[in-house]
Amino acid sequence: MGAETKHRWWVVAALLVGLMATPPLAQANEQLEQMSKDPNQWVMPGGDYGVTRFSELKQINTNNVKNLEVAWTMSTGVLRGHEGQPLVIGNMMYLVTPYPNNVYAIDLNNIGKFAWRFLPPKDPNAPPVACCDVVKRGLAYADGKIVFATLGGKVYALDAKTGKVEWEATNADPLKGETVTAAPLIVKDKVLIGVSGGEYGVLGYMSAFDLNTGKLVWRAYSAGPDEGMLFNPEKTINGNLQKPVGKDSSLKTWKGDQWKLGGGDTWGWYSYDPKLNLVYYGSGNPGTWNPSQRPGDNKWSMSIFARNPDTGEAAWVFQMTPHDGWDYDGVNEMILADLDGKPCLVHFDRNGYCYVLDRRNGKLIAVHKYDPTVNWAESINPKTGIPTVNPAKMTKAGVNVKDICPASEGDKDEQPVSFDPVTKLFYAPLNHICMDYQAFDVKYKAGFPYVGAIVNMKPASPGVRGRFIAFDAMTGQTKWEIQDSFQDWGGALTTAGGLAFYGTLDGWFRAVDVHTGKILYQFKCPSGIIGNPITYMHDGKQYVAVLSGVGGWAAIGMAMDLTKPTEGLGAVGLTADLSDRTNLGGTLMVFALK
Amino acid sequence: MIRYCLAVGLAVLTLCASAFATEKPLRVCADPDYMPFSNRAGDGFENKIAELVAKSLGRKLEYTWHSYRGHGGFGEFLAQTLDAKKCDLVINMPYGSQEELTTNPYYASSYVFVFKKKKGYDIESMDSPVLRKLKIGFERETPPADGLKIRDMLFDAIAFHVGDEKGESPAVMLQAVEDGKVDVMITWEPAIGYFIKNYPGLEVARVPNERATGSPEQYMFSMSMAVRKNDTALQQELNKFIAQHKSDIKAILDSYNVRLYPVAGGEIL
Repeated sequence: MGAETKHRWWVVAALLVGLMATPPLAQANEQLEQMSKDPNQWVMPGGDYGVTRFSELKQINTNNVKNLEVAWTMSTGVLRGHEGQPLVIGNMMYLVTPYPNNVYAIDLNNIGKFAWRFLPPKDPNAPPVACCDVVKRGLAYADGKIVFATLGGKVYALDAKTGKVEWEATNADPLKGETVTAAPLIVKDKVLIGVSGGEYGVLGYMSAFDLNTGKLVWRAYSAGPDEGMLFNPEKTINGNLQKPVGKDSSLKTWKGDQWKLGGGDTWGWYSYDPKLNLVYYGSGNPGTWNPSQRPGDNKWSMSIFARNPDTGEAAWVFQMTPHDGWDYDGVNEMILADLDGKPCLVHFDRNGYCYVLDRRNGKLIAVHKYDPTVNWAESINPKTGIPTVNPAKMTKAGVNVKDICPASEGDKDEQPVSFDPVTKLFYAPLNHICMDYQAFDVKYKAGFPYVGAIVNMKPASPGVRGRFIAFDAMTGQTKWEIQDSFQDWGGALTTAGGLAFYGTLDGWFRAVDVHTGKILYQFKCPSGIIGNPITYMHDGKQYVAVLSGVGGWAAIGMAMDLTKPTEGLGAVGLTADLSDRTNLGGTLMVFALK
Repeated sequence: MIRYCLAVGLAVLTLCASAFATEKPLRVCADPDYMPFSNRAGDGFENKIAELVAKSLGRKLEYTWHSYRGHGGFGEFLAQTLDAKKCDLVINMPYGSQEELTTNPYYASSYVFVFKKKKGYDIESMDSPVLRKLKIGFERETPPADGLKIRDMLFDAIAFHVGDEKGESPAVMLQAVEDGKVDVMITWEPAIGYFIKNYPGLEVARVPNERATGSPEQYMFSMSMAVRKNDTALQQELNKFIAQHKSDIKAILDSYNVRLYPVAGGEIL
């Protein structure tokens, strides 16, 4: 009864906030949405609210791309993994580096000097608790402000003209294992930003800060009581079952209070449908690594959330990997694309399946493997999306489970896919790796607690650790593929010029024919690429830009100077030979036609 | 006991009342000689917590002494004591251990790096580059041993076996740093915190959890008490005790310089 009363109070509060917030914000929203339709600029991390990473520009096309050359470059001054991408707003380019997360503004009319730079105070507590290199996936723009979060969890809004701090807020505390690696998404007057920290069981959340003041407007958790998750038990839809989630939909799937260390962190990409007024994002792995210590479906870890950005209330939620035993975080991007006349959400999950959902209600439309080696599940129910797990591939205490595909890095991790609305195909940079997984119980050696889980990652096919594919999400057909030596950990860009761009872990930046997969141009960059290409026009000329700086989870050994091969264990051993091909770096590469 | 008395009913009310007065003793198994955890004189922090539990439950404390570090180690200790019903409770086990039934955690601490302050090493995780240039000491069969192994740093490091040998004090790990036998010791903080006051020149820094190498590496642990697997009644009583005595427990741990590291969300379950 108490919970119900509280719930009602929350709905009223949320409604009030929503009502108060509506009028002026709609304007900022429309402005940003309009800007995102202008192919001359690149105004948000995914290019547009649907994170399609597609551009209408075609000055550079299949005929002339062979004449591409480096127009200019810039050192970021940081030698760690450069995930993410710059933004281009009018004549200005903005980018944020990996930790310490310095921000640079470059006037494209005067690339000879920085227009301004902002060096946030370093938080020495943050790098040690960052899981997989100290990456940063970009910044956001709206209403004359550049907004980003530091690894240490501070959110800054800077004046886009001067770099002056307009406000500062706190979204995470590294002393509790919380960090922020994601790029924010700005919707109306809300800055949406999540949290990382699955290694510490950080209970994930999505925060909405007021764009004008930095005040926290709402925060929605990934697990726990309905009030904390901003669930309406009667209205929030369980996408798997296509009915309301009902009361305590998360609490029922955890033993005792374990949801408090429930994980479900929200460190991926965020998208938004202005017509439906819904934001979409995924949640990561459940708290404790060892699945036998957390019986149940562990909802709503490993799930896709659709929320009202004004109030945070969840419209629907869809779980992909219940009771995860492999670390298949569900955070990869939610691409909003209309397929067969339906408003779809397309998600290439770490678990190796590509999910097509009706983005209005989370109903499953299609689900297909996008890597043929996937074997953790025997099947996925085509109606509910609920997997039938292959019992031989479930990890458990004390057992060495061999040849699980994909490995924990997934068949795809954070590297974003691009959707080309012309071919209606998805261009996906992928991993192609399997693993042996030995999980141990937590034990006590007199005076010393002990637990271990040793992962041995290996290529899924000899010599092939990455693929770049053109994929039909409705039929599950791979139209063509390029096989790469290492994980393709950088994102994709497609253009109306009939081109797909992507970079390899050993530093080749490529332009590919979207129809055939033929590599039409490639350039060896100073360092491996894990960043996402963008394109823009300046002074009548089309440019393509990408960050070159190897690192991230895929190349952690190199980023941390761990170059010795180590009995083939884990990510370090997997990419030990990468150091024969490339080196650490931190360079913005900008290409144009001769 | 209460439930039993109610079931028996009013007729034997007086009998029940006298049963309360002579409540069964709280039977704890502990090591007679392993400071700072426990000893026969009751000097360890496990002793102090056992005393607090007994007092709070209104029961007399009774010890069965058995070394944690005899033949077969802690597993054999459990088999010989708790499993053999010579006692009902051990004070210190990692939360979630499948060997026995654990209570809710009552503290969380971490493996730590210990080194000379004046050296000022830049060490923030197992991947800090400087570690590759230093002589490292570690306790064998612990998470740091695995962490060193997957980084191919095990062979250059010096193994300690405090947890295996009766009579060996964890203080030897600090002495090894003091004497320059190793540059950095990686050890469980609650084992050495008690002795660190004798080594004012040493610095202690936590080892963070990570999965940088691909394998999950856990260096922070939540610790609980443990009872026999089927003894949910005592487990419930102890959970209640833990919830009600958080600050008393913390005071005891503080006095042994057991550093408490906040876990996710800033709270222990």
